[in-house]
Amino acid sequence: MLRIRNLCASIDGKQILRGLNLDVNAGEVHAIMGPNGSGKSTFAQVLAGRDIYGVTADDLTFEGRNLLEMPAELRARNGLFLAFQYPVEIPGVSNLYFLRSAVNAVRAHRGLPELDAVDFLSVARAHAQKLDLDDAMLKRSVNQGFSGGEKKRNEILQMMMLEPRLAILDESDSGLDIDALKIVADGINAMRHPERAIILVTHYQRLLNYIAPDRVHVLIGGSIVRSGTKELALELEQRGYSWLEQPAGVEA
Amino acid sequence: MTEQNIYATQFSEIAGRLPGRGLAWVDRLRKTAVERFLDLGLPTTRLEDWKFTNVAPIRRLTFRPVNQVSASIPEPLRSQLDLFPSPRLVFVDGLLDRKLSGLGFGTTPPFAKERANGTPPNLGGEFLGLHMAGLSDSLADPNQAAILESHLGRYAETSDRAFAAWNTGFFADGACVMISPGTILTHPVHLVFISTGAGEPRATYPRNLILAGERSQVAVAEVFLSASGGVYLTNAVTEIVAGAGATIDYYKMECESGDGFHVATVKATLDRDASLTSHSISFGAALARNDLRVALDGEGSQCTLNGLFVVDGQRLVDNHTEIDHRKPHATSRELYKGVLAGHAQGVFNGAIIVRKDAQKTDALQRSRNLLLSENAQINTKPQLEIRADDVRCAHGATIGQIDRESMFYLKSRGLDERAARQILIRGFASEIIEGIRVSSIRQQSEIRLGEWFEGKLEAS
Repeated sequence: MLRIRNLCASIDGKQILRGLNLDVNAGEVHAIMGPNGSGKSTFAQVLAGRDIYGVTADDLTFEGRNLLEMPAELRARNGLFLAFQYPVEIPGVSNLYFLRSAVNAVRAHRGLPELDAVDFLSVARAHAQKLDLDDAMLKRSVNQGFSGGEKKRNEILQMMMLEPRLAILDESDSGLDIDALKIVADGINAMRHPERAIILVTHYQRLLNYIAPDRVHVLIGGSIVRSGTKELALELEQRGYSWLEQPAGVEA
Repeated sequence: MTEQNIYATQFSEIAGRLPGRGLAWVDRLRKTAVERFLDLGLPTTRLEDWKFTNVAPIRRLTFRPVNQVSASIPEPLRSQLDLFPSPRLVFVDGLLDRKLSGLGFGTTPPFAKERANGTPPNLGGEFLGLHMAGLSDSLADPNQAAILESHLGRYAETSDRAFAAWNTGFFADGACVMISPGTILTHPVHLVFISTGAGEPRATYPRNLILAGERSQVAVAEVFLSASGGVYLTNAVTEIVAGAGATIDYYKMECESGDGFHVATVKATLDRDASLTSHSISFGAALARNDLRVALDGEGSQCTLNGLFVVDGQRLVDNHTEIDHRKPHATSRELYKGVLAGHAQGVFNGAIIVRKDAQKTDALQRSRNLLLSENAQINTKPQLEIRADDVRCAHGATIGQIDRESMFYLKSRGLDERAARQILIRGFASEIIEGIRVSSIRQQSEIRLGEWFEGKLEAS
């Protein structure tokens, strides 16, 4: 589904990703772990099409399509979704209106008719309920005045509504108390599907107690230094990252 | 020939048939004002108040006054009128159109009989505490004229204001709205001004008076529409008087043509514990200038002035507001938001005056602006004159562009550049639009904003 070869990304002359390689198949859940500053969030943003980075790759294809030639909105319409680490507040735009615009933009691209307001609302409410987000949250401005946990759950809600083929979740577990973490994890698990892949970007192993990944990768200094099964995550939990860090001089 | 000569000649030609002719106080009012106007001439950018707005295009043209009601207004506008139900007064090229106007509540012409409240009388009568008529008709009615004498021209200053003086000399009609003490009006009053823009450039001088009796509550919406573009000048003056404890919800919506000129002066005077909420929605014109001046002339009075201006192309909107805290314990809140695209120009100048005796004044002013292009321009300036010491006065202004992070967030959800920008601009504008309590004005604002996105305004 996703094939990455020698992905490099830089910003303001600073190299962040250095030759990253990764393959993700449909139905799989991958965890990308790594210490702060290793390039995890950059990796997530680059996949979603953030245009502030200078990006090169020998190969960056999503379902056979070259992502390098695709602006962010086309990636989204083709089924790529990024749950933001820091969801953006949009004052004056109701969450519901935002969600409906997004869903209809994606549906239009797939040749599906627009969802009418009533159908949309009932679907949105059902998903919101699963995430323990009340109706009022749907009517409020996007992310404005939301608590950290509410913002993260709102990202999961968007993922549920947009039904992506590939979901990248950037630290969707950070800042959550244990109850919220379970809700978010349940939401993500509910999205597991043979046709869908999920990439969890996380600093801690905690989330992986609830979502069992098929593969775990360690990102350090802008490239993947080790890959393994979920046992690797447990090992990282006990030993930290330092034993995997490369000799001095590589770290940016 | 200078504009003074042109308009002096015009005045001598039309003075004999202007409404109120023969009433000594009206004649005097007009004469004094015209002399003042001729003395001042049109403002130049050398005046601080007109620093950013050059009225040379108005000076270059000769605007003829309108003598008779236009035969008809185009069909599309007629259906648009249905959006502004009665009680309403409709003015076509500045003159009252009685057929389109009515006192009934919540109806549209031909004014089906009001079910529960009995049949509304003709204009000029009183209906459920509302008295509403054309100014010209009111001046012809001795009883009404007597009331007008103590109000008309008593509030809007003309001594150093050329446009207001010009209007005071030349007004041919306007709205006269009076609400009896204690009346709570359930339906908003719509005052609709349509410029046909036909033929040679013409000027209209709408002159409105809104008197809200003690403890009354009323919503009044002024709407300025262009029938089919064209070059014309609207020079309007509205005087608003809020009696003790009165609550006025005032709206001014300006949708003039891209070739039209719009200069409006609104002066509101508030008595003790009175409250005014104003929404000024402006889509610009070749030149649009909105002067809104509020005198908080009673203890405990309060005003909220909200504004939204959305302009593109070569349009210009200039908002000048002045809040005069004359008495203690008065509160003012102000928020003006501007959206500027293309080569548009915007001005916000917010004066807050706190007089020596106006202790415990609480004033807050904010100006927020969104620039959508490199060629768009905004000049925003607070102007504070504080002579009392125990006051709270705060102001702030921001000028920004579309936030890139927000754009990426929306794009990452599948929205393209255009849709994402629209959502963010709507979000920016909604803070003002959602505060609009009169549904016709709120809907129109949303519709106009939608049209603005489609670029229709650019073409008109």
